[in-house]
Parts: sequence; structure tokens; C-alpha cells
Amino acid sequence: MINGTVVELSRIQFAATALYHFLFVPLTLGLSFLLAAMETVYVTTGKLIYRQMTQFWGKLFMINFALGVATGLTMEFQFGTNWSFYSSFVGDIFGAPLAIEGLMAFFMESTFVGLMVFGWERLSKGQHLAVTWLVALGSNLSALWILIANSFMQDPQGAVFDPTTMRMQLSSFPRLVFSPDAQSKFVHTSIAGYVTAAIFVAGVSAFYLLRNRHTELAKRSFRMAALFGVMATIGVITLGDALGFVDAQAQPTKLAAMEGLWRSEAAPMPFNLIAFPDQTKQENHAVVQVPALLSLLVTHSLNGTVPGVDELEQQAALKIDNGIPAVEALQALSKHPNDAAALAEFKMHEQDLGYGFLVQRYAPDLEKVTPQDIARAARDCIPPVAAVFWSFRLMVGFGLLMLAFFVLAVLYSLRNRVQEKVWFLNAALWMIPVPFLANEAGWLVAELGRQPWTVYGMLPTWMSASTHSVGYMAFSLTGFIAVYTAFIIVEMYLMVRAIRHGPDGPGHENGPASRPRPVLAPRPLPAAPHEMNLEG
Amino acid sequence: MKTFAYFVLFLMLAVVVIVLAALLGARGAWYFAWMVGTAMIVLISAASAALLDAQEEHETASNVDADAGSRT
Repeated sequence: MINGTVVELSRIQFAATALYHFLFVPLTLGLSFLLAAMETVYVTTGKLIYRQMTQFWGKLFMINFALGVATGLTMEFQFGTNWSFYSSFVGDIFGAPLAIEGLMAFFMESTFVGLMVFGWERLSKGQHLAVTWLVALGSNLSALWILIANSFMQDPQGAVFDPTTMRMQLSSFPRLVFSPDAQSKFVHTSIAGYVTAAIFVAGVSAFYLLRNRHTELAKRSFRMAALFGVMATIGVITLGDALGFVDAQAQPTKLAAMEGLWRSEAAPMPFNLIAFPDQTKQENHAVVQVPALLSLLVTHSLNGTVPGVDELEQQAALKIDNGIPAVEALQALSKHPNDAAALAEFKMHEQDLGYGFLVQRYAPDLEKVTPQDIARAARDCIPPVAAVFWSFRLMVGFGLLMLAFFVLAVLYSLRNRVQEKVWFLNAALWMIPVPFLANEAGWLVAELGRQPWTVYGMLPTWMSASTHSVGYMAFSLTGFIAVYTAFIIVEMYLMVRAIRHGPDGPGHENGPASRPRPVLAPRPLPAAPHEMNLEG
Repeated sequence: MKTFAYFVLFLMLAVVVIVLAALLGARGAWYFAWMVGTAMIVLISAASAALLDAQEEHETASNVDADAGSRT
């Protein structure tokens, strides 16, 4: 049996690298489409300022993109190095979207990123615009495939377990790609990236407006980010609801943890706005509830109910009972692959195979399994409730805060008065970390809520890891944290330096022109006394 | 006060849109919605920039007219 500490260290290592990586990814996903929007305005209006905007935000995009790729590379290798049983068990399914993601990221995205950066003087306006759109599409489509792979872990669709090879095999590619979890998760995550980019652009623009630098560029950037952000935030909240609706059916234990729902209740179920869940006693302290809201949120009906932890544990115990013969039949088949009786026994119980694996943690020899072992394994089926509960509330709270921010940003910006609202510009600066924290909290909900499974209902986490030593895992974890922290510091240093330096080009103090000249319109602007002040 | 009223109005409008979308699209064709929605978000964002240009040009032209009027 794999050492429990090694499993925990493997989990921490993957979680740490994933959380670091996801500090970079959302900005790439969203900023690429904002660049496409800016360049679209440049090509359609011919105004030079939009080209400068595209180039300036493109520089920040590239800093983020380079470090994002560097942090993402190691994660794919971790499947093989730290999760070898998992890779062997589901590699036939998991490998396909991962390979397509690799092709998308390294061929389509990287090729067009090169053209986008170096092609300004070599491509026509239309060609360069097409390239920028392709970078945006490529980065989001590469995210699509990794999220399809992740959705398979949350809700394994389109695969069957083959007892002769002892591995899961792909049975339906369309079911894998179009699973409800994959669809809602991809759109939720992608649009969360748009929100992140919009807040980032609005915050940096606010920085310039507060210092009266690059005001024309900042006002336009802020306006575009505000509209981009308000629509994206509406989308991300809508898709969050859709994902919760899907999870209510596909992952009831995650939903129970998200809501701190220890006991099943009659409809309409109240929503725990605030609570302090106690996993040992299976109860909540200091609860503040909103009547009937939970039924409405997760079933879209006042009559709908979802099972509580008590009911889910009872269901899990029954599944474990049913899964034990499946594992025993599998053990017989591994010794005698042509054993027809064992195969028939396996087929009868295969839907609960994963639950049989779950109890093996406490009873490696299933002939000696006790009711206490089954009860412990059933209790393991519930994820860490307090962490999931509060991560979920943080994510939702930040989402609502960003919606309020963008509504106000649109109001001020549409009146062209945002530059006068100093308090709001200061608030925009403070908002920059919010989407990053919301994204991290979202992933904590998704992945902690999936426990104790690596593939929900099929493969427990405790048996998925590799058989490394504790020392090896501790050493590599320390190394990863040190290197990734260095990456974050480098990113922040480069970003701050680029932002302080500001955009290049005519009309900006960093540009080749010694004196600012109009960059807003290709045609002459009004006479000198009324000439627009390009530098603020 | 006017700004606050608009803020509340638009916030409520956003909430209504979210509730409607949630109720209508519990199991929506989300990939398709992403394609259409992304194009819409980008184009509206682009149009908003063009609108800012138009607002500023209008403001500048108004100032020119007012200035010319005060001289004559």
C-alpha cells in the first residue's frame, strides 16, 4: 500500500503547482480577447492609439504568457511522476484531451503568438488582426482540452472499465467532450479569465489616470475593460450557477460540502449564508440562513431537494457493500483472465467498483472487511466541508463584488467621467487581486470537493499516487515552491516595470517623438487651443 | 444620488439577466453560447471604444463652437 504521507505530499505538490499556474492562466485567456477587441478597433477606425494600446497590453500579455507556459509544463509531467497508477488507470481517456491541449498550446497558440509579437511590420493590418484573434482562440481552446480532461475526473463520461486490461478505455469521444460538466466548466473558467483581464486592464488604467499619464490610452482601455468586464461577470455568474446545477446531480458530495448540508431536509431547503462546519460532529455552528434559497439555486425549483451528508454516507455504505465483490472478482480475473464466473460476478457489481477500492484502504484483504471499515470508508466519501464551504463563499462573494464594480465602472466610463472619480480609481487599483483570489478559491472548491476521488466514484486518491519516498516528495515539493515563488516575483517585477515604463510610440513620453503629437485620428484635429491633450 | 439610482437600476438589470439565463439554460449548449457570447463581448467592448471617440469628438466640436460664439 502507498504511504499516506506520500499521497498527501503528492496532493499538496499538485495543488501548489496548479494554484501557482492558475495565477497566470486567466490573464492569458482574457487579455488575448481584449487585445483582439483593441486591434479590431484599430483596424476598423485606423486610429493609431488603438495600435499602441494593443502593443502595450500585448507586452504585458507576453510577460504573463511566458511565465504561464513555464509553470504549466511541469504539471503534465506530474501525472506520470507522482500519479503513475492514476495515469495507468485512466491514461487511455485522459491522454487524448491532454495531447490535443499540447498541440493547441505549442503549435497553434505559440506559432501565432510569435507572429503577433514580431509581425507588426511584416503583416498587413488584416493579417495581423487575424493572427491576434487566432492567439485568443488558441489559448482558450488549449484551456478547453485541459478542462475536458479535468471534467472527466469530476464526472467520468464516455469511458468504460475493461477488466481484461485493468484500465479505463474511451467508449465515446463526443460524450467525453460534450459532458455537461465539461461544457459549463470550460465556459465558466474561460469567462473567469475575461473578468480577470478586465479588472487588470481597468486597474492599470486607473493607475495611469490617477497619475495623469497616458490618459487617452488609459481612458479607452478603461472603457473597453468596463464593458468587457460587466458582460463577462454576468456570464461567469450564470455559468457558475449552471456548474452548481450539474454538480448537484453528478457530484452530490461536493454540493453537500459546498452548502454545509449535514442532514437531508424537506423542500424548500434553506441556504446557509454563514456557518462554521464541524466535520467531526457533522454539524454547523453560528448559522445564518436564507429560507428556501438552496432549493432555488441548485434545482431551480422551490420543490427540489438535494441529499445531505447523512443520506450520502448511507448511500456510500451500500455502494461499498456492492463494490467489494467487484474488486474480489477483479482480483480473480487478474490471476485467471478466462474465469467466466469471475467476469460475470464483476459485471454484476462493476458500477460500484470504485467504492470497493475505497474500503481497501482500511481492509487490504477484503475477506476481512468489517462494518467499521465500511463506515470509515463511507465517512471518507465526504470532502473537507469547512474548506469547500468557505472557498465557495469567497468565490461567490468576490464575483458579486466584481459585478458591482463593473456596473459602476460602466456608468462612470459611459459618461466619460471616470477620470474625475479619484476614489473609484483607487478602488479599481485595489480590485486587481480580487479575480485572482476568486479563481484560486474556485479551484479549491472544484478539487477539494472532488475528494476522496481522483476520478469521481471510480478511482480513490489514496491508490492513485506513485510509490515515492517521503524524502523525495518533500524535496521536490520544496523545490517547486521555491522555483514557482521565484516565477511569481519575476512576473510581478517585469509587470510593474513595464507598467511604470508605460506604452511606447508617438504621443507618449517614452516614444520617439520629443513632443507629443495627436494619435487619436488619422485626419487633422481641431485647432491648437482646442487640441486634445494626449498626455493629460 | 442620480448615479446611485442608476447603479442600483443597472445592478438589478444584471441580476435579472443572470436569473433568466440560469433558469432558461440549466443544461444549455454552453460551447455554442461561449462562441456567440465571446464574439458579442469583444464587439460590444470594441464599439464602446468607438463610442468614446465619438463622445470626445462631439465634446471637442461643442467647445470649438462655444469658443467661436464667444469671440463673435
